[in-house]
Amino acid sequence: MKIIILGAGQVGTSVAESLVSEANDITVVDVDGPRLRLLQDRLDLRTVLGSAAHPPVLNSAGIEDADMLIAVTQSDEINLVACKVAAHQYNVPTRIARIRAPQYLANPQLFAPDCFAVDYAICPEQLITEYLVKLVKFPGALQVLEFADGRVSLVAVRAFEGGPLVGHQLQDIRKHIPNVDVRVAAIFRGDRPIVPEGTTVVEVGDEVFCLAASQNIRKVMQELRRMDKPAHRIMIAGGGNIGLRFARALERDYTVKILEHNKRRCEELSTQLSTALVLQGDVTDESLLEAENVDEMDLFVAVTNDDENNIMSCLLAKRMGARRVVALINRRSYVDLLQSGQIDIAISPAQATIGSLLAHVRRGDITEVHSLRRGAAEALEAVVHGDAASCRVVGRQLDQIELPKGTTIAALVRGEEVLMAHHDLVIQSGDHAIVFVTNKKMVPKVEKLFQVSAGFL
Amino acid sequence: MNLISKLLPPSNIVLDLEVSSKKRMFEQAGLIFENNQGLARSLVFDSLFARERLGSTGLGQGVAIPHGRIKGLREAVAAFVRLATPVPFDSPDGKPVNLLFVLLVPEQATEQHLQILSELAQMFSDPDLREQFIQAQDAGALHQLISNWQPDVTDQHRAAV
Repeated sequence: MKIIILGAGQVGTSVAESLVSEANDITVVDVDGPRLRLLQDRLDLRTVLGSAAHPPVLNSAGIEDADMLIAVTQSDEINLVACKVAAHQYNVPTRIARIRAPQYLANPQLFAPDCFAVDYAICPEQLITEYLVKLVKFPGALQVLEFADGRVSLVAVRAFEGGPLVGHQLQDIRKHIPNVDVRVAAIFRGDRPIVPEGTTVVEVGDEVFCLAASQNIRKVMQELRRMDKPAHRIMIAGGGNIGLRFARALERDYTVKILEHNKRRCEELSTQLSTALVLQGDVTDESLLEAENVDEMDLFVAVTNDDENNIMSCLLAKRMGARRVVALINRRSYVDLLQSGQIDIAISPAQATIGSLLAHVRRGDITEVHSLRRGAAEALEAVVHGDAASCRVVGRQLDQIELPKGTTIAALVRGEEVLMAHHDLVIQSGDHAIVFVTNKKMVPKVEKLFQVSAGFL
Repeated sequence: MNLISKLLPPSNIVLDLEVSSKKRMFEQAGLIFENNQGLARSLVFDSLFARERLGSTGLGQGVAIPHGRIKGLREAVAAFVRLATPVPFDSPDGKPVNLLFVLLVPEQATEQHLQILSELAQMFSDPDLREQFIQAQDAGALHQLISNWQPDVTDQHRAAV
């Protein structure tokens, strides 16, 4: 597939990285020459220097042959115009844009085919807010992801000392919670993925990915760790786009304090929020944190636009007694460095965004992609089409399907029903299969598996 | 007579077309059906691309049978395109494609349409015939080749996959 990526920032680079190995023809456009050169040195792709929405620039990027345009420049306006130009001037079949401003997102008619012609608008701030809200609702989870319109949830937890499953085999999970059907989709020990089998023993520190029908997910978490007390008090460091969205989503049900250093922004925040308490001050100011009782916080979330400030304020809050701290961190090397150390959860905006982009790029009818473990693993939802003749999974029992190494089909969603994977379950056309891929290199094989053959009408 | 030649008007045979990609190929297919059958080219383009997303219609050996359903279409109609330079098509064997049989069917596709696809797969599986398609001098000669071809009834269902 020929794909043009506009913008070589965090998201553009991550998308390029994740697609470049998969027999795709990638061209990246940016105004920053040195940045493009760096990218070209590292990855097998083409780069074009210039303003991303200008037709001559798009032309030299090969837009006339492009199957897809991914517009992820810093500017919403450039992304919108690029989609418009791509659709009306060059007939590009699929157009995806990152849109940040809530003022645009609140008017979806702007994305219609006869307007800016954006097929899919992706909003990182919205995705991160959803991620954070999940962490509040499921204390103890590292990540909670949904499939099939929320019918199935995948939850990542770290198994720790004293948890009921630690030291036991996976097959015992059934004895502990007999009425809940749950699948352990993967286990990561250190950096190594372990393919879970009935006899696998969970160790302290393992990162365990469990899949279950959404209504059962709490019971599963109880099983894997001591259930953390529900969160009540939440402090948000940073009142930018994400801070505001997050505070708004929580203020009705939780006690929320939000710290912001800019006075004018504070005034704006207080007009937009009703019960959340807006405090002006520096997020790394120890005396301010102390005065605002950071030690009583169930959750401390740092979402300023500065990585260092987020890290420092989280470290400080943790030392001062905040129960769980979460930092938003842009630089990927920092994320790897800090996750699971003093900082409980490090969220990378690029990682949170890339999944929803990938869902549209993947071949086959893929409705959901979640990028996991900093992009090393992937969980995806594939819609099954065809019959036994035109599709390699239809009409087969799960244990008859030859899956690529490190891949598990963890569940099927059939209409409203969630069927957890058992060896004798037979896949039907129309099923949504939830597939867990612990090695990203296998994704193209998984795509192939679910694609229909040429004879499918 | 086979099913295939009946739905392929000789005017829908285009030889040695210059295109640089799958996308351009589908645009040209849209034009053929717009000019000759009065179908909106964007409708054809979108339908072919939508099907391609579910899996490539490349058969291997440089052949593809892109197809799609068209709302409001009464009878199946086809076009045959031979490309001057092969284009990438995500085929199972990874080879680029230069022979394309484009098939459009009504929204309510029937058993007969599946039969057509199956015949196509069978026809293109013959290496000699493929070579003749590549050597054919003009649209008339090519149409003749297709009309003369006889499907092997017993082999039909197997050939589809």
